[in-house]
Amino acid sequence: MNEKFAKYTDALTFSRIVDFENVAEMWQHSVKEYTDDVAIVDGAEYTYGALDTAVSAFRSVYRKAGVTPGSLVAILCPNSVGFVKAFLAAATYALPAVLLPAHLDAMTVFGIAYKFGLKAIVYDGALADKVAEVRAKLPGVALIDSSATQEELTPAISVPKQTPCVFIFTGGTTGKSKAARLSHGAVMAGTRNGCYGIREIFGQRYLLVLPLTHVFGLIRNLMTSLYTGSAMFICRNNKDMFRDIAVFKPTILVLVPALAEMALNLSRQFGRNMLGADMKTIICGAAPVAPYLVKEYDKLGITLLPGYGLTESANLVSGNPEALRKPESVGLIYDGMDYKVVDGELWLRGINMMDGYATAEDNATTYEDGYFKTGDLVRIDEEGFLYITGRLKEIIVLSTGENVSPAELEVKFYALEVVQDCLVYDVNENGREQLVLEVLPRMSSVKALGIENLYEYLKGEVGKINDTLPPFERINKIIIRDTDFVRTPAMKIARNLNGNVKK
Amino acid sequence: MAMSRSEIKEKLNDVMRMATPSSEVDFDSLPETATLTSDVGLSSVGILYVVIAIEEFFGIRFDDVGFADFKTIGDVIDYIGKKMEE
Repeated sequence: MNEKFAKYTDALTFSRIVDFENVAEMWQHSVKEYTDDVAIVDGAEYTYGALDTAVSAFRSVYRKAGVTPGSLVAILCPNSVGFVKAFLAAATYALPAVLLPAHLDAMTVFGIAYKFGLKAIVYDGALADKVAEVRAKLPGVALIDSSATQEELTPAISVPKQTPCVFIFTGGTTGKSKAARLSHGAVMAGTRNGCYGIREIFGQRYLLVLPLTHVFGLIRNLMTSLYTGSAMFICRNNKDMFRDIAVFKPTILVLVPALAEMALNLSRQFGRNMLGADMKTIICGAAPVAPYLVKEYDKLGITLLPGYGLTESANLVSGNPEALRKPESVGLIYDGMDYKVVDGELWLRGINMMDGYATAEDNATTYEDGYFKTGDLVRIDEEGFLYITGRLKEIIVLSTGENVSPAELEVKFYALEVVQDCLVYDVNENGREQLVLEVLPRMSSVKALGIENLYEYLKGEVGKINDTLPPFERINKIIIRDTDFVRTPAMKIARNLNGNVKK
Repeated sequence: MAMSRSEIKEKLNDVMRMATPSSEVDFDSLPETATLTSDVGLSSVGILYVVIAIEEFFGIRFDDVGFADFKTIGDVIDYIGKKMEE
């Protein structure tokens, strides 16, 4: 499987990337193979063996709280070894886990507990006030402090791969947040796919900065780290990430583009590579990755690999092992993924896909012919590399009936080095429809290129791009921002939020 | 090393300039009452940048205090001054 990725590593490494039926099977394999190696660093170091003992004890905590296999639990913890322990114990005890972002308020936690019919919530002591409503109104929900333990150890339970493993809330970048139900098979497919396209993937050192409640943090960071016998250092506060890097010397980082750009700018400001000499690879995704980042990190000797994934697909749909040659692509689609392109939109099905959203009404328009409709407009080149060209849900329908894909246009402007981020949208001014390009400039490039009048420069460059477009897709107005766009918690541009569009 | 309030502000201006490279704000004439979000225009990533850069430049550590607790430039200068005296 995934032979097309074989050439990007050595034969031995490639042969070690295998399938597991469920999380328990993978975890038992890792514990056996890497018993004395460090798995997690969170204040203290936890070897795979020690973590397994803690996980076995936590299964007893669930059992003694009356939480029987098949029950639904929730985890309300910041990134911590407590989260990892609660999640692994749930996943290896046939308890599907709803991951609750730490910023939720007490009423929302109560609403989720009621709606999902939760049997238990594992919470971090610092977030105790967030379970206050549940404590007061839902006495049937067991509230378990993540630091709880038991002397007795409870063995793991192996489940068929179709069994639900985890519910992850989508980011809600363009709409309301929904909970995607991912099976053990989906989680393991995503975890395995994270191993492809990187020369050295086993026995690495990761630094965790993304939230574990986000699919990118959970699957590509935590799970792939555990799968590969790697050590994962938990950064408790992102402001300390560079201090943590200096101590832990990670070799792989999983980042969203905004953080990758920030690290690059800080490196420039302080005149040294803030990511350290050991850093070899950045896995970058969850938002469009500018080709500029690939090139600039290459100068630092760091390979930045863009990829594409969704919460609904257990994170990973494609990964780009040849980012320098094809920096605008999100890479090759992993095997095992059944896909087709319908009217330009990518449709997906396969073991890695979710079984549906938790709420029935959310599924109504999600599927057709058994395929999940991603809403992403794509093209695939002759070598099989995937490109995201737009978002169906964001299509602008002009009064003439013509459709404009803003993301497809934005890709063209992202290719300009001076464009750090941009948005295309339509406005109606005095009865005249206009397409607006709003740009957050990359000032380091503006200076490096010796540009004195950025507006005039952009006008010229946008004009050249306009000349390649049909008249209805041409940009009529350019706005240069002096502040960043409003972003979601995962630091993506929140397209429809007030403050991102200067009307 | 003790720094005067105006020296702290000058250095803080440098940090904010770099955290908001697209900004046209004239930081030198910005009063201490200027707010970090509306007047300076710091986003979530910009705030993270400023916190990291302040710690690096001034050799201090923010305690558990969240940067969101600061409303104005003056609040940040107060905090930096206090931490440098410790």
